[in-house]
Amino acid sequence: MQKKGKMITDISVMIAGMAGDGVLFTGNVLAKIMKRQGWEISTYRDFPSNIRGEPTNYTIRASLEKIYGRADDIDVFIAFDCDSIFKHSERMAERGILLCDGEDFVWPSPSKSKARTYHKFPLRKLAIGNFGKEIFKNMIALGALCYILDLNFYVLERIISEAFLKRKGKEVVRKNIQAIHLGCDQAKEIVAPEGRYSLKRREDYDRLFLSGDEAIAFGALAAGCRFFAAYPICPASEIWQWLAVYLPQFNGLVVQTEDELAALNMVLGASYTGARAMTSTSGPGGSLMMEGFGLAGMAEIPIVIVNVQRAGPSTGMPTKTEQSDLNQWVYGSHGDFPRIVLSPGTVEECFEFIIRAFNLAEKYQCPVILLTEQDYGQGLRSAKKFDLSKVEIERGKLLNQEELIKIKDFKRYEFTPEGVSPRALPGMKNGLHMVESNEHDERGYRDENPENRIRMMQKRMKKLKSASKDLIAPKIWGKRDAEIGIIGFGSTFGPIQEAIVQLEKKGIRAKYLQMRTLWPFPSKKVEEFIAKSKKTFIVENNFSGQLSLLLKSQVRTPFDARNILNYSSQAFRPSEISTQIQRAL
Amino acid sequence: MRKNKDYHLTEPTWCKGCGIYSIFAALKKAAVALNQDPEQFVIVTGIGCHGRLNNYFRSYGFHALHGRALPVASGVKLSNPSLSVLGISGDGDAYSIGLGHFIHSLRRNINITYLVVDNRIYALTQGQTSPTSEPGFVSVSTPYGSKELSLNGPKLALASGGSFIARGFSGNPTQLSTLIEKGMKHRGFALIEVLSPCVTHNKVNTYQWFKKNTYNLDNDSDYNARDKMKAWKKLSKEKKIPLGLIYVEKRQTYEDVVFQKEAEPIVFNDLRVDVPRLEKIMEKFK
Repeated sequence: MQKKGKMITDISVMIAGMAGDGVLFTGNVLAKIMKRQGWEISTYRDFPSNIRGEPTNYTIRASLEKIYGRADDIDVFIAFDCDSIFKHSERMAERGILLCDGEDFVWPSPSKSKARTYHKFPLRKLAIGNFGKEIFKNMIALGALCYILDLNFYVLERIISEAFLKRKGKEVVRKNIQAIHLGCDQAKEIVAPEGRYSLKRREDYDRLFLSGDEAIAFGALAAGCRFFAAYPICPASEIWQWLAVYLPQFNGLVVQTEDELAALNMVLGASYTGARAMTSTSGPGGSLMMEGFGLAGMAEIPIVIVNVQRAGPSTGMPTKTEQSDLNQWVYGSHGDFPRIVLSPGTVEECFEFIIRAFNLAEKYQCPVILLTEQDYGQGLRSAKKFDLSKVEIERGKLLNQEELIKIKDFKRYEFTPEGVSPRALPGMKNGLHMVESNEHDERGYRDENPENRIRMMQKRMKKLKSASKDLIAPKIWGKRDAEIGIIGFGSTFGPIQEAIVQLEKKGIRAKYLQMRTLWPFPSKKVEEFIAKSKKTFIVENNFSGQLSLLLKSQVRTPFDARNILNYSSQAFRPSEISTQIQRAL
Repeated sequence: MRKNKDYHLTEPTWCKGCGIYSIFAALKKAAVALNQDPEQFVIVTGIGCHGRLNNYFRSYGFHALHGRALPVASGVKLSNPSLSVLGISGDGDAYSIGLGHFIHSLRRNINITYLVVDNRIYALTQGQTSPTSEPGFVSVSTPYGSKELSLNGPKLALASGGSFIARGFSGNPTQLSTLIEKGMKHRGFALIEVLSPCVTHNKVNTYQWFKKNTYNLDNDSDYNARDKMKAWKKLSKEKKIPLGLIYVEKRQTYEDVVFQKEAEPIVFNDLRVDVPRLEKIMEKFK
């Protein structure tokens, strides 16, 4: 029996290199092994919008507790190139282990890195020398990591077999396993058994392992989405690619359109005809969708748009994370029309909210936006199994043929107390009507009469009020009587929660209001939260404080709030939040 | 048998003498000939004078955004292929702001009929030059004459894989209704460009002008609309504009390719949550 390393309950492993080095593959396999050994996982992908030749890194965090974001420090760092060391070694934990390939490696000065242990690890040389191909360096790295993290080699071997046996055959599997053992043996010479890390194991854990994009795609399928049209865009294409496999198996359809204009307009046509329809995009695609967004509002067509935010403006940084499309969807498109904007904070909420999105869209006959981010959109997370028995499909005032035939004088846009009108589908008897992008009367025919205009505007906008009781309310985390209040939306969920723990250790008590619906704005709940906080901090991944500005326009009572902003294109680390709060007090 | 009045909702209010009147009449005539159920008929229009047609024609109607008639019509048809779907655009709608959709719809070959009402001018916005206006065309937007070549829609359609390409003329409503009827019967995307004078804003391309500058392929017994090269040659001659059925081919529709045979239309799917089946799929996230 080998000596055990130091037992820990939370660890971060960074794998870095140049695009094309196999960083993502290595990271994903490592994450899978750790997940199968019963740990909660949160991965963070920081990669260039380029196929080859630019730096990329992937962080896998494993913990016994549920985690939702990246940690402050890196415990184990394996680098396929030298440059990565200079970029990230500052973040090494006190006794972290750092392995680096590179014969021309220049050691960073100690001031640049806290890690005491630096090790040359000639991954490329070992791969070519022993197996004739550089690609084996990924396996050698995995073998080394397996040893350093005291992981079960059997689990790794099984994952490798699963990945390669069918596609590439026994010989490839055998060679790869050899490479793993080589990596392990080499690592043994560098790191003593007691210098390793060892995580407690959990045997009875049954977790899913997926990205927010995948959770949305799966949720959409469960919610009855059967029509999907989109244009390729980072970081949203994973939603489409998942649905492209599964929708046809459910008699549904995925269409690759010529642009985002076509995508949204096809979705509008499909939803008008009665299909549950959706598109997914990111900011730049959203800009092209603005005209169709307004049509959905005007013609009262239920549609779901998923916007996985990336760093803008313009082409921006296609594969990096940001929260700067809030304004786009809360205020976007010309004219006034009702829309609902939801913001999940976790992969679990991605699944839950997309189902709510489809129901809200049909109940209030308006566009619903699911605003997510590259961070957990593409990052893989362990998640509790989704409870499918709770999935409900609510189609609102959609009439069936029997109900429609009984109606004497069907009016698609009938004025009703709640603003929502009965809906008939083309092909139905007794339901003939018009869908107008122009202002229209109760039957849908063009009408520019000012009195009709006023009533129609009021009818459509009234739906927001009708929906307000049915929305996903903000959630308060932490002790309700804490004097510091933190407000955030989306992926700041994890870092804020951890920042609260860090603050508590310093004797500062904080609570957190997670905004889960951004529009219509839940003013009352936010006002209550602010009133019960001595000082409020608003945490966002953007430059101008978009949530903060929205909040200030929607909250009537004056309050003292400070913005904590990060527009570096990177997700927050917990200490960025906790130290800024500490400093401000 | 259905009658003309089954499709007549209200009296149109286009300018007196506008070519769209004959398109409206031809469309009704074709619907009668096909015994088209108005409740199974969806007409999607774009922005322009043609877009008013939904207000006069009795069927399900969708007045879409400028240039977006085709994506909406495609979404309708793909969700419920049992419906008859017809799109209408003007020359600005189809050949300018919606040109991307035009090409890709031809490529896809979804089973819809598409009328492009070509009056060679932006009429609803009061007479600007359009992509089909000829070089030198003087209008409020090009007071010194248009500096661009004009766009040949049917030729572009042929190059884009169109499976049914025809051109009609408002001055010949009999031929036009026959073309619409044929187009609606055609399995696949049927383009029918209709030369249609704007009597208010276009004083160049009048009924007389079109009569003088067109000839009818339907009268040419030597012409074979299944011959792509011949169609290309006819469309490439610059002097006179051919009318009639220009090109037709049998090609698999998009629906043939993406749906399983005898599959129910998407809108008739049972959406109830199939828990065991989804549980199995969820297991793959491990």
